[in-house]
Formats: sequence, C-alpha cells, structure tokens
Amino acid sequence: MDDAEKIGLIMVVDDDPDTVKILSHYLKREGFTPLEAASGPEGLRLLASHRVDVILLDLMMPEMDGFAVMRALKKDPATADIPVIMVTARDDLSARAEGMSLGVADFLAKPVFRKQLGNRIRAQLEIVATGHATAATLNRIEAVPAKR
Amino acid sequence: MAIEARLADGSASAIENALIGEHPTIRKLRELIERVAQRDVTVLITGESGTGKEIVAQSIHEASPRRERPFVPVNCAAIPNDLLESEMFGHHRGAFSGAATTRAGLFMSAEGGTIFLDEISELPLPLQAKLLRVLEDGIVRPVGSDRGTKVDVRVVAATNADLGAMLARNTFREDLFYRLQVVPITIPPLRERRSDIPILVEHFLARTRRQRGTDGLPLRVSDEAMVQLWSYDWPGNVRELENLVERMVILCEGRILEASLLPPNIACATSPADEITTTLDEEGLNLNALVRKLEGRLINQALKQTDGNKQAAARLLGLKRTTFAAKLRRCGVITPSDSDKSTET
Repeated sequence: MDDAEKIGLIMVVDDDPDTVKILSHYLKREGFTPLEAASGPEGLRLLASHRVDVILLDLMMPEMDGFAVMRALKKDPATADIPVIMVTARDDLSARAEGMSLGVADFLAKPVFRKQLGNRIRAQLEIVATGHATAATLNRIEAVPAKR
Repeated sequence: MAIEARLADGSASAIENALIGEHPTIRKLRELIERVAQRDVTVLITGESGTGKEIVAQSIHEASPRRERPFVPVNCAAIPNDLLESEMFGHHRGAFSGAATTRAGLFMSAEGGTIFLDEISELPLPLQAKLLRVLEDGIVRPVGSDRGTKVDVRVVAATNADLGAMLARNTFREDLFYRLQVVPITIPPLRERRSDIPILVEHFLARTRRQRGTDGLPLRVSDEAMVQLWSYDWPGNVRELENLVERMVILCEGRILEASLLPPNIACATSPADEITTTLDEEGLNLNALVRKLEGRLINQALKQTDGNKQAAARLLGLKRTTFAAKLRRCGVITPSDSDKSTET
C-alpha cells in the first residue's frame, strides 16, 4: 500500500503486545491506519520507509525508552516535526516534565480511552494541516512584491 | 537576542507579543503575519474565541506602513443591524429620522489606517454587498448620499464562524468571501498546541511580575498544576489561560502556584494530592463538601471519557440529562459550547 495516499498513518511504539493490539483497534475504530512497532529501534526503522503522521510513544520500554526515542526523532530533520503523543502513567509528573522539555506534542494517561485518543490525534493532524496551509500562503504572498 | 528574552524584558515586537509560542505552526504564522503586514492586502483571520484575533489584527497594523494612522476596531455583532450601515459608512443630514447632522462613518475615521471588522459573519447580507463594493473600488457611500468618497483603508476581518458552511447556506456572499480571504490566517486553538502552554504560562507570570514591579520574586507553577493545565481542553483558548494565571497569582500566597489553586473544572479528576477520605475519625468531616468533590470528580471524568458529550456522560453516570445538567451548573463545569457564548467580546 502507498502510505502517501492514506490520511492518518499513526505509529504505535510499545513493547507490550496487548497495549499495541488495543491501541491499534482503537485507531481503526477512529478511522486511522495503525502502524505497529514493538520497540523504539523498530519504530525508528519503520519511519525510514513510511510517512507517519503521528507517533504514539510508550515511555517505559526496555533497551530504548521513550525519552531516548524522542531524542533520536528530534535529531533527525526528517522526523523532527512528526508530532509525538507520549503515553505515561497518570501521576508520573517527572516523566511529563522531561517529556515537555524534549518537545513532546501531547501526553495521554493510561488507561487510554478511545474517544480521547481520537480527539488528541485529530488535534495534531489539524494543527499540522494549519501549518501546511500557512506555509502555502506564505509562499504565495512571497511571490507578490511589497507595495504601498 | 532570542524571542524568549525579548518577551521577558518587554522588548518583543507587536507580532511576537500577539502570538506567543514555539509550536512550528505558530512560528510559521508569525512569519506570515510579519510578511502580510508589509503588503497592503485584505486579511481574513479565522480562529476560535479567545485565540487572540484582534491582537493579531492590531499587530498587523502596528507592523505595517500604516502604523501612524488609526486602527479602528468594529465588532459587527455588537452594533444593532439597523445602525450598522450608518456606523460603518456614515450618513447624510436627514438621511433618516434622527440623522440631524451629517456624520462620517468608521471607514472615514480609519482613513490612511486599518479597519478591523470582527465577527464579519454577523454582517447582514445587504451590508455584505456594500462592503464588497468598498473593497472593490475603495469608495464609501454614506447613507442618504448619492456621492461616494474615496477612502484609503486597509480591511482586516475576523471570524470564529465557519464561513465555508455559511456560503453553502447562502448566508454569506461568496464574492465577498473570496475578496476578504486574499490572505487567510488561521489561528489554531490552544488544545492543538498544548506544548505551548508552559511557554504561555511563563510569559503571563513574567508580565504580571513586571506590572507589579516584584522583580526578584519569580513565581512558578508546580509540576502537578502544570500537568493539569496541560490536560485541560481550554475552550476559551489563550484568553482563558491568561485569566486563569492571573487568578492563580492573586490567590497564591507563596511563590509556587499549586494545583490546589485551580478551579474544579480544570483540576484533574485523579489528582493524587487530593484524596477523598472514606474514614471518619474524631475530627469529623464535611460530608456535603466531600460529596460535592466526589461528584465533581466523577462528572469531570465522565466528560473526559466522552470528550465533552453531555448526554453520553449523563448515561455513563446513570443520570437523566436534566439532572446531569443541573449538577454541571452547580459544579461550575464549563463546556466548549457554553464558553463560546460567554467569552467572545
């Protein structure tokens, strides 16, 4: 399938197969296409060949945790602008503070509710679309000389 | 100097102050506004209530070559329909009963400057036709006059309505829409750029400090309160956040703004520091307050799970819709549809 044709390719990065299954199910119910990754490195690999719109990133993973994935994403210009929604425990304040400083776009607390998940993802898609429209307008008016 | 530093010491430009945040889309928008200000084109600003449409319009004026001339804001929804035409375009003496003198309209008073037409969706159809003519030939025709006057005014319009949907219903003229939308500027709602919430909070705190002259006593928001600010949906957008920060600063007695200062509609349902006790010791307890707290918490949780759908939330709690609505009012929970009506100026 051609990823560029699809609207809302959402990558789920989580080492817990049950969580991945549930999130993927929710994503489909909300009209998105899930792309599953069982670890941070796998997620980063998949990004090379897929145009992902939003990343749902688990924090607690062996080998490479969510923060490490976040740093890798921000370092690569090709992935730096993909919005990341980090999934954390509800009361993990220090994790959230760290996530904020790393440029996480949003947080979802476990347990994740389907409707909320859908709305938070749509919000990210919406602001990215506004960004594209703004860039297009900017290019268009750049072509017109300034005058008074 | 970095933009944060300029915001902190008050030397930021009008545009930098009008749209605060580091989200890539916000940065792009600032760039667009910067460019648009230099070009004498009509601008249509779209955004929910509280996103700062008027502040953006004013910053466009202040960054434009027209900055020395007037900026005239007009709220199309605030002026009664039968007065709107003469307010905007002026009238001739004797044009209608009560028109004792000839009066220049708002377009004339904006001569050389910028007119800001807020809530443009509220402009009645006949006036839409008249505005279109002004945009096309720059000639204003006062009520009761057969002669027009040439004006040099830049038009910046704004709306929180879906003009596209209004076109489909024929309540907004398509030709006017395209004439206004030469440069469309869409300001995203705060819930789409939550990562800017800490930056905005910091900005409002710094400004309060400057205004009060209490330098050296920086205030900060506790991590727990910040998580809750982040989780809230902000139906009233940046203006609601601004009001809330002001309120917290007034209520705060120390230097850290704690989660306990947050109103119940924002305070997260599962705040660990705010346990509901279920044991009765010698000190006794306030049963009513406790029940209210539990009620508020479950109502918030139900609204969260159903994403603000009151009917579904009522069902989740086994309540009739009317009972649920009454409880909502008592708890002071604000939903997007309520705040839209009350916060737009």
